[in-house]
Amino acid sequence: MSSLNASLAIALSGLASEQGALEATSNNVANVNTPGYSRQVPVLVASDPIVEDPLTFGTGVTLQSIQSVRDPVLESQIQQETQTQGQLSALVSALSQTQTNFSSTGGDIGSAISQFFDSVNQLSTSPADLSLRQNVLTAAGNVATAFNVASNNLTAQRTSLDQGVEQTVGQINQLTAEIAQLNGQISNVENAGQSAGTFVDQRNQLINQLSSLVDVSVIPSGNSLILTTANGTALVDGQHSFQLSTRPDAVGVQHIFSQGSDITSSIVSGQLGGMLAARDQQIPAIQTQLDTLAAGLANAVNNVQTGGYDLNGNASTGHNLFTPPPASTVGAASSLSVALTDPALIAASSDGSAGSNGNAEALYALRNQAVINGQSPGDYYSNIIFNVGNAAANATASQSASSLVLQQLNDQRSSVSGVSLDEEAANMMRYQQAYAASAQVISSINSMMQTVINMKNS
Amino acid sequence: MRINPNPLSDLLSALSQTQQQINSDLRQTASGQSVNQPSDNPAAAAQLARNADQTAEADQFLRSVNSLSGEMQNADSALNSVITTLQRAISLGVEGANGTLNASDRAALAAEVQGIQSELLSLANLSYQGNFVFAGTATQAAPYVLDSTSPSGVRYVGNSGVNQITVGNHLTVAANLPGSQLFSAAGADVFQSIQDLITGLQNGTGIDTAVDAVSSAYQHINAQRVFYGNVMNQLTSQQTFLNNETTQLAQQQNNLGGADLSKVLSDLVNAQTSRQATLEAIGQTQQTNLFNYIK
Repeated sequence: MSSLNASLAIALSGLASEQGALEATSNNVANVNTPGYSRQVPVLVASDPIVEDPLTFGTGVTLQSIQSVRDPVLESQIQQETQTQGQLSALVSALSQTQTNFSSTGGDIGSAISQFFDSVNQLSTSPADLSLRQNVLTAAGNVATAFNVASNNLTAQRTSLDQGVEQTVGQINQLTAEIAQLNGQISNVENAGQSAGTFVDQRNQLINQLSSLVDVSVIPSGNSLILTTANGTALVDGQHSFQLSTRPDAVGVQHIFSQGSDITSSIVSGQLGGMLAARDQQIPAIQTQLDTLAAGLANAVNNVQTGGYDLNGNASTGHNLFTPPPASTVGAASSLSVALTDPALIAASSDGSAGSNGNAEALYALRNQAVINGQSPGDYYSNIIFNVGNAAANATASQSASSLVLQQLNDQRSSVSGVSLDEEAANMMRYQQAYAASAQVISSINSMMQTVINMKNS
Repeated sequence: MRINPNPLSDLLSALSQTQQQINSDLRQTASGQSVNQPSDNPAAAAQLARNADQTAEADQFLRSVNSLSGEMQNADSALNSVITTLQRAISLGVEGANGTLNASDRAALAAEVQGIQSELLSLANLSYQGNFVFAGTATQAAPYVLDSTSPSGVRYVGNSGVNQITVGNHLTVAANLPGSQLFSAAGADVFQSIQDLITGLQNGTGIDTAVDAVSSAYQHINAQRVFYGNVMNQLTSQQTFLNNETTQLAQQQNNLGGADLSKVLSDLVNAQTSRQATLEAIGQTQQTNLFNYIK
């Protein structure tokens, strides 16, 4: 048997459901510009019907849940690409700074070496001329300074990257703590059988931020999740976060530790990965090449210098032009310095007489001799420029490509999860009309009730 | 399928891309260079560094050629004077050999040749910018000193060293002739022959032999002088070569790293137009949505 009360209950369920649906729309509109927000849709289902043989009566509508619309695969791709993007951005920023040391400014290493050999060639035309000898010493000093400046700039850059590593680790710890906390809230909400859409959005947003800093793998675990770095170091497990720490090694470079083990070398992506790559690989590789060039040049020059005779006709044995670089060549560029102060001690002469230029010529010949790993100083230096420029150019190109991919992924995400105001306006109208209709039904039932009541009174 | 309802971030990234293009075009326009940092074109940047070194080297070779040319010209003109001086000595000797002259006439001629002797001494001790040109590599002391114990009246204190100077890739030139090879050559010793001529004129004997000796010395100097002429020719042609090389290197530098200004400027205009269009697109999208029409 149907009853007016039953109809009233159905109409009321309509009012309540449409009101709830409107709330979802209202929330979507309010969050139209919230980063990481996924639009929510009300899930309306018809209530279980009552069967009264032979009739089946509907019992109205239920707002079963309000669901966030998102594509988990897409979210995970975005996290991956964000890691790549973070790594490449950090690398590009570091290498752009590095390559400024290798622009032709006149004070750069290449120009200084050119000018040194130029001064030697000029000395060769008048080997006893003290002012020409002084020019050679000055030019040698400029070579040493150019190496010192470039090498020290690179060291300073590594130091500032080191500070960046510490700061990034701090940010990572903060994010993992927040994510662990959200995991707890999401578990609580979902254990109570409710939808934790907003919390999940927030967590995804935080995981994205974390992805831009470090390589993260997300492993779902029940209604919580586990975060690890790519090599499996735990960052978050449910409501627990595992803090990373930094500790300087013997030479003062910060290493990253997780629960006592050094995970520095296993971090490859995210901003942290990029900083570590620049700090531990790219920049040291350039420094090594500078050291090789500085040591090779200094040794070759010293070798010729000590085999000649100075202005006073004395054999120059032991009178190096450059302070001999360390045998390992480590630090040769930063410590390169000129050992001679007296221009008369430059060994231009090969026969002991002041006017002989034989040894100056031998010095000059080094300009085009393969004295540094089978290359002339100029060729070796131009190779360094190529390596530095190539590393920066490759990183920049990869970054642009990754930006495009990320852009497209975000587009896709937005097409799935983004709030469309048109859609929300249309929904609003639908819910509004349905609400009005249900209200009208109640009004009709009311008048029918009145009819029934009046029937008794009359 | 659902369309991305918020294209603003796409438009913003398009804006930042065009801005990047504009910045790069402006940088190229301002510097006139397409390679402003190694990453702009690593291979070209490396070649530009080699080019800069080669240009510096060619410029230096030009400076060395100029320095050398000065010294060569000085030495050559000194030898020219030596030659005319020796010619005068020869004609004085020939005059002295004439049997009609008496002792006092010959003594006058001998005095004149003594004058020539000191002229030659001063020429052989020519110094150029603080260096004695005919001293071999012992350039810091006058190579010929008067020595009454020596048969020729002078003593050579220079050496036989010859400096080779690099004035080009794979080109070195000898920069000097030592006095031992010029003035004190065996069989053509200038000072010995002049001393013999003076002695001959004073004594009235052996004048002819002495004149012959001076003639041999004269011919020797004349032959040796060709050395300076050759080197100066070499230097002149090397100068031309280096000037051409410098021009070519500058051309190469421009090819490697010069900005193609007409292309850069047209890119710049395109980028600016594109930026303008994007800005207008941003301004016009999202102005209206369905909410505007709900009354």
